[in-house]
Amino acid sequence: MRITAEAKTATRERIIEVAARLFTKEGWENTTTRGIAVAAGIATGTLFNYFESKEAIVAALISEALERAEEEIQKRDDESLEEELFTFIWTELASLREYRKFLAAAAETILSPLRRYARKSPGDSIRTNHLEAVEQILAAHGVPAPVPTVTMQLYWTLYLGVFGHWATDDSPKQEDTMALLDQTLKLFIAALPRSGGDTHGHQIK
Amino acid sequence: MDTRLSDLLAALPAEDRAEEIFDSEGAQERLKAIFADLAYRPVPVHSLHRLWTLSELSVQITLAYMSLWFRQLTADAETRQQRAMETNLRVALKMVHRLGYLRGAATKLGQALGALPEVMPRQIASTLDMLHFQAPPMHFSLLREAVRNELGKDPIEVFATFDKEPFAAASIGQVHRATLKSGQAVAVKIQYPGIARAVEADLRNLMALMFPMRLTRQWESAKEQCRAIQEMLHQELDYVREAQNMREADALFAPEEGIVIPRVFDEVSTARILTTEFIPGLQLNDFLASDPPQSLRDSFGEKIARIYYRMCFASLNYGDPHSGNFVFMDHGRLGLLDFGCVQHFSSQEREVFPLVEAFVDDPTLLPKVLLDGGFATEADLTNEDFMKVFEQYWSWFAEPERFDGAFDFGDESFFKRGIERTRDVLLKGYTAGAPMYVYLSRSFFGHRALLLRLRSCFNERALYRQEVATRLAREGKG
Repeated sequence: MRITAEAKTATRERIIEVAARLFTKEGWENTTTRGIAVAAGIATGTLFNYFESKEAIVAALISEALERAEEEIQKRDDESLEEELFTFIWTELASLREYRKFLAAAAETILSPLRRYARKSPGDSIRTNHLEAVEQILAAHGVPAPVPTVTMQLYWTLYLGVFGHWATDDSPKQEDTMALLDQTLKLFIAALPRSGGDTHGHQIK
Repeated sequence: MDTRLSDLLAALPAEDRAEEIFDSEGAQERLKAIFADLAYRPVPVHSLHRLWTLSELSVQITLAYMSLWFRQLTADAETRQQRAMETNLRVALKMVHRLGYLRGAATKLGQALGALPEVMPRQIASTLDMLHFQAPPMHFSLLREAVRNELGKDPIEVFATFDKEPFAAASIGQVHRATLKSGQAVAVKIQYPGIARAVEADLRNLMALMFPMRLTRQWESAKEQCRAIQEMLHQELDYVREAQNMREADALFAPEEGIVIPRVFDEVSTARILTTEFIPGLQLNDFLASDPPQSLRDSFGEKIARIYYRMCFASLNYGDPHSGNFVFMDHGRLGLLDFGCVQHFSSQEREVFPLVEAFVDDPTLLPKVLLDGGFATEADLTNEDFMKVFEQYWSWFAEPERFDGAFDFGDESFFKRGIERTRDVLLKGYTAGAPMYVYLSRSFFGHRALLLRLRSCFNERALYRQEVATRLAREGKG
């Protein structure tokens, strides 16, 4: 029996939805792929056809949020680099808002800056996709390519800091993270190489 | 840091041990703890130096502190302690400098002190001089998300039109022009995200820093004043309270009086967003530049004085009468903006009004007024110098109220005399009193400074009497 593309997409969506519910209810650590498969009414083996691990499910959630963020900045046309980066990151975070409870724990393993990067791990794809989107935004605002590796590493470090703050932020509607993001982006932009050939970038004092 | 100011206050020893507090190890430890906490704050980098678009609130915080600092500086004449105090003050100022949104206050304060250099020790003035402030606005993306957090929608969905550029800086955010879907032109005041909670936390720290510095005998009254300041600031951070103040103030004026208080649109307002009717007109500087006729200067001055007395007597004292809050409208109407700093008096505090009225009519009642109003103790009344200083200060205050005919508020020597007499009171440390006077004296001085700039000339005596009658009528004693 052939499984249609629609059915595949539906199953994939169901797995993500069920997993997100379980992560929220049972906690990140206590949820297993087996438990997710049972709750989704599929065999564990079937689940592995879609996701190799629970980390991969979270990575899918995050990449969906990333897509929404990319769509959002397409809709807004007249923004400065700072504004566009702000919209990009905040839209991503806002669309993950309902998952905050388990994302803090999940991010510790998936996005930890201390983890070893392995080829094709879910964390790496999140990082790569995110940084590609950011490089496109930078290019659109005249930041000369290629952006120095150290600059992108700085961005990623700052982003993880904001993400970590957001995941555990108990201020109303994460307003503290909103302020932190605003200040963080000012810091990042101050560290960007300026167009006009200053390839050494600017020193961060 | 979860320590509440009230806990700190409660933990502080009684006034007779104030000097020990200053030298005690406990105080030193507390200072260290405060600075350790501050060390975790991000150090401002580049544009972060100019992050916050803040002015009014910060000025209020700082001016309020200043009234306390003045007293600390002057209450004890001993040089050694005074020097120690100045050192601590410099430390406090550095701290203010690190708290981005207070920097504007420090600059404005520096400018104000530049005008009155002899009031402050030179060192302090020069420290203040070095502080700079320039604030860029919140960019539109941040603002849009802040609005979305509060109202659930983008500003462009909520409003028919919305100006992306702010037209004014507000105390802890900025003001944008917009149009409601009904076509009504409005001003939308939006807070920087999280600022209210940040200000309150920093305020607790600053207060904690100030308490070990206390040296005066008037410990209790200082505590009360701090509570009053805290209450006022809390009000400033909450736009729901401000909207309430506006409605209460609006009810005090009849349309034919030509005093316009903007209407609040509740459906697009929250604790962090305040949408009010847009009031078209000129700011004071532009109004003066238009070379207005004397009759217009007089009638606007009269309106400012009427606002002061009407609101003060109704226990809604307009605590921040600086020129930016007044709009000179067409047909001689005067618009009043910004109701975040409105002081409410308790029934006990209101008892001072009849006393002052009695003094205006009969100068010999001064000792009774000072005593009953909590300005002086029995001992103060026997202090010849104290009485002389207060006699002069209060006579200045009552001079226009006693003058039969049109009083010339444009007379600079009159205003200067007021400053000199206030300085005498401050320098001699005679400023003890109920917390209400922190803001009351500022609003009083503020409105007379406006009358000076307008060069208004009108019958204040008649106006004052009308306002007293209005008050009595409202209280059912008319």
